[in-house]
Amino acid sequence: MNARAVAAWSAACLFITLATSNPAYKAVVLAAALSALAAGAGRRNTRRVLVGVALIASFAIVLNFVSAHLGTTVLFALPATLPGVGGAYTLEALASGAAGGLTIAAAILAAAPFSVILRSHDVMDALPSALARTGTAIAASLNLVPAFATSFSEVMEAQRLRGWRPRGPRSWAAVVVPVVLTSVEGSIQLAESMEARAFGSGARTRLRPARLSGADWLVVAAAAAAGLGFAVALAAGWVADWGPYPTLSPPTVDLRPLLACLLLFLPVLTWRSRA
Amino acid sequence: MAIARLNRLSYWYPNQRVPALDEVSLQVGAGLTLVAGPSGGGKSTLLRCFNGLVPHFHGGRIAGSAVVDGMDVVATPTRRLARAVGFVFQDPELQTVYDMVEREVGFGLENIGAPPREMREWVAQAMRDAGVEHLAGRRMRTLSGGERQRVALASALAMRPRLVVLDEPTSQLDPDGAGLVLQAISAVADDGRAVVVSEHRLAALVGVSTQLINVERGRTEAVEPSAWVPPAPPSLPRRTGAPGGEAWSLRDVTAGFPDHVVLDGVELAGRQGEVVALSGPNGGGKTTLLRLIAGGLAPLAGTVERRPGRIAYLPQNPTALLHRPTVRSEVALTLERAGEPESPEAILEALGLCDVAGRYPRDLSCGERQRSALAAVLPGRPSLVLLDEPTRGMDVGARDALVRLIARLRDSGSSVVLATHDAAVRDAVADRVYEVVRGGVRELARAASTK
Repeated sequence: MNARAVAAWSAACLFITLATSNPAYKAVVLAAALSALAAGAGRRNTRRVLVGVALIASFAIVLNFVSAHLGTTVLFALPATLPGVGGAYTLEALASGAAGGLTIAAAILAAAPFSVILRSHDVMDALPSALARTGTAIAASLNLVPAFATSFSEVMEAQRLRGWRPRGPRSWAAVVVPVVLTSVEGSIQLAESMEARAFGSGARTRLRPARLSGADWLVVAAAAAAGLGFAVALAAGWVADWGPYPTLSPPTVDLRPLLACLLLFLPVLTWRSRA
Repeated sequence: MAIARLNRLSYWYPNQRVPALDEVSLQVGAGLTLVAGPSGGGKSTLLRCFNGLVPHFHGGRIAGSAVVDGMDVVATPTRRLARAVGFVFQDPELQTVYDMVEREVGFGLENIGAPPREMREWVAQAMRDAGVEHLAGRRMRTLSGGERQRVALASALAMRPRLVVLDEPTSQLDPDGAGLVLQAISAVADDGRAVVVSEHRLAALVGVSTQLINVERGRTEAVEPSAWVPPAPPSLPRRTGAPGGEAWSLRDVTAGFPDHVVLDGVELAGRQGEVVALSGPNGGGKTTLLRLIAGGLAPLAGTVERRPGRIAYLPQNPTALLHRPTVRSEVALTLERAGEPESPEAILEALGLCDVAGRYPRDLSCGERQRSALAAVLPGRPSLVLLDEPTRGMDVGARDALVRLIARLRDSGSSVVLATHDAAVRDAVADRVYEVVRGGVRELARAASTK
């Protein structure tokens, strides 16, 4: 699949998610993003992303539930004298938190194909020529990120066995300094290797120029139609706002913007897992 | 006909008074040129002169002349010299740009604006020449070190350079991976190309080389390849006492991850004053076993016991430990933490580091860094010594110094466990040898075990 087509689809998802407060449409985008991700990355890879997304969304829900003591439907109450957590816990605050969590989850999943489905060279190939060199340098440096994470745990273990113990912020220098220095040296060696292969010589070409296939064009068309359709629906007032306070009510759903959102499911038919 | 000519070339790294290369004159033509010499002698610096990384990337001062494929190295930027000189670095992981094999091989061609159609042909040809055509479609991160290094060779060949330079390409590899890389290098040289290789494992290449250049203290000396004598295997000072009581043990130990068991039901123990060597393929579980003994990893099942006392642990990438301003202060830090009164000079002398003791360890050559890291973890009287591939990238002199140090630790009562692919070191120091493979451990019979 082409990174430009994925970018168009992600942009449409993000636009709808962020343009409305109505959780019904966000839920449709979330379902579309989840289905597309499963189709493109495989269920196993999608599950890994889901765990992270669920954690972040849960945090948003809990935070709102604990901190926003608004609304009329009280589920339970803690003594107001308890610092930070005291007060009424309401169904409306829970729903508001859930809507926030839904927005975060949909936004993350809409952008997830860039890291989960596409490979770094897919993205580099899709960049305009003017950005090709910068993109290559960024992608190359991203290759060092896993090594950085591994290096941190290895150095900490080795220093601990060398007698190091964490005693205040200054003591962490024995771990942080070697990790940072090793990463910097790794970056320099990578730069040296790129220089030795003529990086920065002039205009670059590509081994396999990125072209949009028929399926990619379909995704672009569906994404454009979804984004445009939803924008028109917003302008026409067909997308009803939603707010949980003061009393919880279900969101109103209009068929026309809903149809626009449903177009985002198209990648389920065109994206095939590389897993 | 010479492809590269260096004439009285001298080079100083930035802020250095002593030249890293001192009036070097040599010619490189078709065939295999081997570059040998001790760590820190100037091999890597010399190799980087061929494609202009020295001085263009590293800075510093240069005198004399260097001409490669008709281009003046001092006046021509590396990115232009790259069309004539392909370069392969030591560490296969730190020269990867793309995550797909073909893309990685084609990276240089993309940079010089080669037409996509020709590029595909050249990439395919380079992959055949380097013996990696079967890796097409693979992701770089799924390759072994040896495979990655051969892909690096293919990406150097793809640009159809007149000269291919490889800087210790096998130093980070296990024997199987190194063998494959050396085989590929021989094939490329046999093809009539000019190849320059800096290498410690000379035995595999010296027979097919056209010239051998020894580099020491920045000076070069041509040696007749047929006159080259393989280094003697390291000899171990005679043991001064019998092994003592049990120092560590693993009883029915299972380790790894719940969904991927690395070691299963392992029974193993070591005694004070004894050296146990672990061998076996990469990924077999040697490092996991060392980490279990060290206490850095908890077993999933079974028990691990060790006598109280200081543990000296050398990880696979030991230079990552170095963070003090001098080599001496690295050693002093360990001694201070351990509360041992020994002077840092003892281990610095044992590992041949006195000359560089006052220098910043990360400014040293790879071999010197490796020895500095060893000095940083091994001073004093540790009760348990765990070494993970301690001879990786070491020259013969450093390897022999390490063997003597291990003997000293053994005789002072330390229990030593080393994971190594280096058969010469294993045969010299080990009282017992175990193969760690497919989650199990089995003792290997060996003639020298009665030593």
